[in-house]
Amino acid sequence: MEFTFDNNIPIYIQLLEYLKIYLISGVFKSGEKLPSVREFATTFKVNPNTMQKALSELESMKLIYTERTNGKYVTNDTKLIEKLKDEYAVALAKSYFQGMKKIGLGKADSIKYLEGIDN
Amino acid sequence: MGLIEIKNLTKKYDKKVALNNVNLNIPRGKIVGLLGKNGAGKTTLIKLINDLLTPTSGEILINGNKVGVETKKIISYLPEKTYLNTQMKVSEVITYFEDFYEDFDAQKAKKLLKDLDLDVNEHLSKMSKGMQEKVQLVLVMSRNADLYILDEPLGGVDPATRDYILDTILSNFKENASVIISTHLISDIERILDEVVFIDKGKIVLQSDADKLRKTENASIDEVFRRSFKC
Amino acid sequence: MLTKLLKYDLKYMLKNMSVFYILAIFFAITTRILFALNQTVIVKIISQISVGCLFAMLANILINTMMRSWVRFRGSIYKDEAYLTHTLPVTKNEIYDSKLIQTLIFFFVGFAIIILGLLIAYYTEERWLWLKSLIDSITTGLSIKTGTFIACTIGIIFLEVFNAIQCGFLGIIWGHQQYNNRIAFSVLYGFVAYLLSQSLVLFLTYVVGLFNPTIMDLFKNNIMLDTTAFKTLTILAIILYVIIIFIMRFICKHEFNKGVNIE
Repeated sequence: MEFTFDNNIPIYIQLLEYLKIYLISGVFKSGEKLPSVREFATTFKVNPNTMQKALSELESMKLIYTERTNGKYVTNDTKLIEKLKDEYAVALAKSYFQGMKKIGLGKADSIKYLEGIDN
Repeated sequence: MGLIEIKNLTKKYDKKVALNNVNLNIPRGKIVGLLGKNGAGKTTLIKLINDLLTPTSGEILINGNKVGVETKKIISYLPEKTYLNTQMKVSEVITYFEDFYEDFDAQKAKKLLKDLDLDVNEHLSKMSKGMQEKVQLVLVMSRNADLYILDEPLGGVDPATRDYILDTILSNFKENASVIISTHLISDIERILDEVVFIDKGKIVLQSDADKLRKTENASIDEVFRRSFKC
Repeated sequence: MLTKLLKYDLKYMLKNMSVFYILAIFFAITTRILFALNQTVIVKIISQISVGCLFAMLANILINTMMRSWVRFRGSIYKDEAYLTHTLPVTKNEIYDSKLIQTLIFFFVGFAIIILGLLIAYYTEERWLWLKSLIDSITTGLSIKTGTFIACTIGIIFLEVFNAIQCGFLGIIWGHQQYNNRIAFSVLYGFVAYLLSQSLVLFLTYVVGLFNPTIMDLFKNNIMLDTTAFKTLTILAIILYVIIIFIMRFICKHEFNKGVNIE
């Protein structure tokens, strides 16, 4: 997969987004071991230092943790990941309704449209 | 101690001042972009570090050593020029590098050449300038150096090769090694940079962490650069 | 590291000089064969052409060894190849000495090929005896051994040429300390260096003359040399050239170690 980055936004923030979505969607499951910084950097084609920074951010959010010698693991706290997923879902839903509002549709109508879509 | 420490460095050509009292520290383990317009002093600075120019005044220390045999052992330098003796074959040039540089990895060089579709049995004189530049890049990146200095490595290469070059840089430099990339084509490389150094009219005008700069200026490095040096 | 540098310098010279060596030997052989043939008008004309080619090649070997040495010196130290030369983990002294030794070796090879070419083209027993008697008449006149005479003659020619080459190197080094008109300055400084080395020879001869009246006579009168003076002078010339070559080498290295400024 090709990862694209917007040069206007700090690269580590964009990496953080990619990683969060990996966790929410279960690409990396709770308690699972993560690839090394170098491996990640090669996959994303970014500087290992930048990758390290993104992972540190993730760690400070308690979404991953470091086992001193073995590397980095996804948190066992499934609630935390669920909470993150919830936040993302709320944000996405909000932006949907905001978009519909712009073209003059209320909440009820908007939901009807949603139901009309089959995947 | 930084990998490179430059103190009060000045270089004059005849009477023209190319570098004016430059002070600069390059840490270990970073990819640093040396960014400036043509004629800003990038190449002069790089040539001074590589003993191709003699400073008018000031000091350069690399790993604590003055420029000389010890520093040449740990610096892998890609100049803008094609500098190989074109009477040689690619395979002979590989032997040449093996002879002189202890940290040269011939196997890696052969692998990279193959990836780039370059034939080791070909004479350099039969290759286009672009191909010769690729051979040079391969040679430079096949050393396990502490410091890589790449002067305009992307000038005139196609996007596919450019991506390959950036990947090669990222995947080949060992931990604690640093890479200095000089360029005026900022948007192409800024995603891999840790630090940026802006140079203009022979002076260092800014040194900053790349992402920090993006955050404070709310723009890409390229954009920040354009704003700073509006013509 | 010096041996590694030298290996590549010699390889380069061999690649570029071997064509002249081969041609010289080739024309030496054709000359010999043509003179052995029945001398019809056509054969005569062709053999004269062959002789012309042979001597052109022999001269070429000398001139080219000299020019190539300078061109190579400038090429790998001041032109694009300098980007590689000066970033190799070797000292400036090693770079310089490699060029010097390379030149030395190729002058020996050049002289050898010239002698070989002449032998191939012209050797006959009578000519050999004639040459021998010619040399003998000189050496008996000077009352020295034939071997010594030949060694001294070749030695002095060699040292003189070698000194000239090194003066050229110094000219190139000085010329490239300028930022403009580097080639013109190289040539100019080359001459200056040569004049400098010759004045040094003269000066040192004079100094020796202060202690040796035979040598001093050289400065005072225009007399023909007697045998003792000739001998003293020959030995003196050899010693002085060796000293001069070392002094010039010291100056070259000193100037070279100041660093380079590559365009």
